[in-house]
Amino acid sequence: MTKILHIVGGGMAGSEAAWQAANMGLPVVIHEMRPKVGTFAHRTGDLAEMVCSNSFRSDDDEQNAVGLLHWEMRAAGGLVITMADRHRLPAGGALAVDRDAFARAVTQALHAHSLVTVTDEEVTTLPASGDWIIATGPLTSPALAESIHAISGSDALAFFDAIAPIVHADTIDMNVAWRQSRYDKGETEAERTAYINCPMTRDQYESFIDALLAADKT
Amino acid sequence: MAERGRETLRFGPMKPVGLTNAHRPEDKPYAVVQLRRDNALGTLYNIVGFQTKMKYGAQTSVLRTIPGLENAQFARLGGIHRNTFINSPTLLDSQMRLKARPNIRFAGQITGVEGYVESAAMGLLAGRMAAAGMTGQSLPPVPASTAMGALVAHITGGADARTFQPMNVNFGLFPPVEAKGGRRGRKDRYKAYTDRAKADFLNWLGEGPHAAAAE
Repeated sequence: MTKILHIVGGGMAGSEAAWQAANMGLPVVIHEMRPKVGTFAHRTGDLAEMVCSNSFRSDDDEQNAVGLLHWEMRAAGGLVITMADRHRLPAGGALAVDRDAFARAVTQALHAHSLVTVTDEEVTTLPASGDWIIATGPLTSPALAESIHAISGSDALAFFDAIAPIVHADTIDMNVAWRQSRYDKGETEAERTAYINCPMTRDQYESFIDALLAADKT
Repeated sequence: MAERGRETLRFGPMKPVGLTNAHRPEDKPYAVVQLRRDNALGTLYNIVGFQTKMKYGAQTSVLRTIPGLENAQFARLGGIHRNTFINSPTLLDSQMRLKARPNIRFAGQITGVEGYVESAAMGLLAGRMAAAGMTGQSLPPVPASTAMGALVAHITGGADARTFQPMNVNFGLFPPVEAKGGRRGRKDRYKAYTDRAKADFLNWLGEGPHAAAAE
């Protein structure tokens, strides 16, 4: 019986793992639930979709550890780095890419590989048999995370990164807002004025709460 | 938070105490939205306590109802992101296999590496390790002096399991370079790290199974 390597997740890790294994002569199946099952962060069904930024960070392979990692992946014939190089954008010393063109190129290369199959079948439990690589990323489904927890009998852990909105300071109306720390706390003038404050009347507060409660949530 | 009660925010992050409106000192605000400096330059401010589940479109219009933020431009909107990773130092062996189920490997951010590049690198290793094992080829361990080796050594044992947190690649994960006579400058030291890594990596590639180059 021919052995097949199953890879769960078609992000950076899953795509690269599939490419490497297939190039060593092994049939590979990538299980990527997108676009059938989406996530809040992804926009497409492409493999290797870049969700956060479009940068692979420093490309300096002499002075930077990330740049060194680029170099090593180039030496090892990495698919991700090859396509990143092909679709790079001007970005100083960083390796930034056209993210759509990059993801399409990775997707096409894997689809075109004779030993690679891509399926949208979702995997919700850790398989008991067969050879698997789990590369489901930071948005691993709760069901699969629970299965990992049950089998490992130890700390499979999940946490939430909560991010508050960030405003460009020069777009705040300082005729309305003012600088002051609560109770004017602080040793220096800079500390006593560390915060920008936006005042609300009772009516403004009530309508703000109404708008907040009515807004679409993720 | 607002869902817990209409007054929750006014007694939490939006409480007006200890603040006097510099423009209208006689008017006591009913509530106050505070923004905290987010970068050294002072060009970015985050809204304190406003981690929110609101969708992006709704978020912009709701936040612009805050007095003073009517024309605000947002560098980043708020959100709550799930970030799941396993405790690799206790769960994985040096081959990135689940100790309790050696037919299963892990790769990418779920192993506690951070970033696209690190994820791709761990995928590269996991793919090669799996393929070597399944096709009966031998793959020597990637040297810890290389970036890939340093990362995999960190997550599969080098890191403290009790305080394990997602990690970017950095020279602190590498075995120290031997100093040759006197203190080196940082530039020289980094160059020494990368020179050593490149030589060791090429040597490792030469010892292992030969994969076809990309395309």
